[in-house]
Amino acid sequence: MIGRKSVLKRVGATALALGLAASLGACSQGSASTSSAGGSTLTLNGDRADFVDAYKVAGDALAELGDYSIDPRNVPSTENYQQVIRSSLQTDSTTDLVKWWNGYRLQDLARSGGLADLSAEWDTAVDEGWVNPDTKDSFSYDGKVYGMPMYKSYWVIFYNKKVFNDVGITPPTTWDEFLSNNEAIKAAGVTPLFGTQEAGWTSFIWFEEILSKLDPDFYSKLMAGEAKYTDEPAQEALRIWGDLYAKGYFTAPDIAWDNEPALFQEGTVAQVPMGSWRNGIFVTNGMTEDDYGAYLLPVIKEGTQPSVITESGVIAVAAKSAKKDEALKTMGNWLNPEVQSAWVNQIKDTSANPEVVTDDPTLTSISEQVAAEKPVELVRFWEASPPPLIEGGVQFLASYMVDPSEDNIMPTLEKLQDLADSEWAKWKAAE
Amino acid sequence: MTATSVRPAGAGSEIASRPGGRRPRVAGRPRPAFAAIPFLIPALVLVGALLLVPFVSTVYQSLTRDNGFTSTFIGFENYSRLLQDPTFLQSLLNTVMWTVGTLILPVGLGLLIAVFTNSMRGGRWLRLAFVLPYAMSGAATAVIWGFILRSDGALNQAIAFLGFTPPASGWLLEWPTNTLVMILANTWQATGVTVILFLVGLQSIPPETVEAGSLDGATGMRLFWHIVLPQLRPVTIVVIGMSIANSLRVFDLIWLLTKGGPGGVSETLAVTMYRQTFIISDYGYGAAVAVVLAIIVVASSYAYLRRQLKGV
Repeated sequence: MIGRKSVLKRVGATALALGLAASLGACSQGSASTSSAGGSTLTLNGDRADFVDAYKVAGDALAELGDYSIDPRNVPSTENYQQVIRSSLQTDSTTDLVKWWNGYRLQDLARSGGLADLSAEWDTAVDEGWVNPDTKDSFSYDGKVYGMPMYKSYWVIFYNKKVFNDVGITPPTTWDEFLSNNEAIKAAGVTPLFGTQEAGWTSFIWFEEILSKLDPDFYSKLMAGEAKYTDEPAQEALRIWGDLYAKGYFTAPDIAWDNEPALFQEGTVAQVPMGSWRNGIFVTNGMTEDDYGAYLLPVIKEGTQPSVITESGVIAVAAKSAKKDEALKTMGNWLNPEVQSAWVNQIKDTSANPEVVTDDPTLTSISEQVAAEKPVELVRFWEASPPPLIEGGVQFLASYMVDPSEDNIMPTLEKLQDLADSEWAKWKAAE
Repeated sequence: MTATSVRPAGAGSEIASRPGGRRPRVAGRPRPAFAAIPFLIPALVLVGALLLVPFVSTVYQSLTRDNGFTSTFIGFENYSRLLQDPTFLQSLLNTVMWTVGTLILPVGLGLLIAVFTNSMRGGRWLRLAFVLPYAMSGAATAVIWGFILRSDGALNQAIAFLGFTPPASGWLLEWPTNTLVMILANTWQATGVTVILFLVGLQSIPPETVEAGSLDGATGMRLFWHIVLPQLRPVTIVVIGMSIANSLRVFDLIWLLTKGGPGGVSETLAVTMYRQTFIISDYGYGAAVAVVLAIIVVASSYAYLRRQLKGV
């Protein structure tokens, strides 16, 4: 018996040591989200590593105007980031400024009382002509503004010009041309369209693009909870999407989202639907206007109102910031053209200030197309409904991408509608 | 707790009789049982602050509707929602698959590898190949297997290179294939630790018993089955106990390979807990999943160890 016990002890000790080693290995460095910076600097927390240098550049421009500069921190994972902000905003260890999303995501944070009221700063920006006053709702809760727009991304289709030249096609102006282009690209052995559910959120992209080009009015109503996912236009959108899958135009639904820029650059995939914020990565990777361009996806049926999906991140001020007044004052100059041109030229995206133009040829071309077509601007799916509905909804859309068959259309939409019913009820109950 | 500090007389006399052992107790001054309390305080404080307080607060949170900002007490509503949630039931089923898979594969393979490499020439080098993956983090393992298993990954490229057609549905996209391949990926990493533990067990077996068995004519499987395996029982208990606990809390591999999807089909309870809490921000519901998971882990570990350790 004693022999067995000592064996057990040895085994137990080894197991304990190994377990301890494993758990220590699994520990990762916590994120530093806390505290205000000293002197005339404001801390800012964000989830975009590629924005860190740009925050500093914008901060320098703000400092030149007599405001505070910016000391950015970054939490690389969006999921962890949201968690960090949700917990830190309730304490005085929050950063002074917080990067967030517009629409319902901003409302979610604003109604918790964690954000400071930026209405006065917004009004000043409107008076100066620095921002389109029509976009106010997207940054407001209960009539007050809680975030200043960081950028204004248009959702477009980026296309690889070399592939288009080789195949002998031009960007489509009608849906039929879009289809015939895809057929020609596929015949040339290149995958026409990028689509993946691998990153979780990415499954809404094609649903949103197709539905908004099919019936923009229905899209807006659906997002606002005034129409049902089981209604005919949503069914039709999934049918069109499934048809594009059946024709073999898409990448596999589990392709890594991080590989998208590389696949696009090397011409393995000819077209990627993405916000113009993705432009910065293409430029960083060394692509030029000779390599790629962007076009607005044409409407599906002739006579439909053209539309474009837009997206604006926001910078908000934490209500419990130790430098709240300084942060509010600084945000009063965020949309100043001098700050904005430094900022958008660094992030390679479009400014929310209509006066500011970037020197990037692709963005200029997008702005020109928007000016020419005058599409109705729609809020992106991600920000256009209560967050739990969106986060749950992308799961069902991901399932549809794996099985894009006619038989799966109604089950997918019924699940989405059930979720919409319960989440809208919860959202309204919390108002 | 104080009861554990009372040493049985037999064990005490054994130590006292050793040279340099415990000093004989001063006569006439019986040691009060509570004398041990001050020594227990640091451990009690640590366990209390790091385990019990969070657990109690999680149990309370599971009885609330909590979005991270505001919290309302709603009784057992989260638990009744769990029972009607198809994703939760799917996640429970996947957790059972993971437990069974982890019991069969890493434990079975670990035993085989340990036995063969223990007596084999050059076995220690061969063993390294199986043990090294254990040194990698779960996240690194997931990244490697992601490269292999995605539709454009190494496995499908190899299948195509050999002239076969890769499966159209992909490895990570459909249930139960995605859960099964992830169990295999986990086996690649988790077998190392079972090999190490079984080796410790094998090397603790007195060679006389094996020799005696051989002299009596036992060889091969017979020797293994009747002489070696029974003596591995203590180590097997630990290995299986650890495997059960590990399989119930598996998270990183699944999260990085499929995020529990598509559509939640490959979620386990740990993933459901994370998604509900940190993605959906339904903290109360996430806490309810955590409580269910904790009950399952504790109950299964307790039931298993209580039963197994009786005979040791």
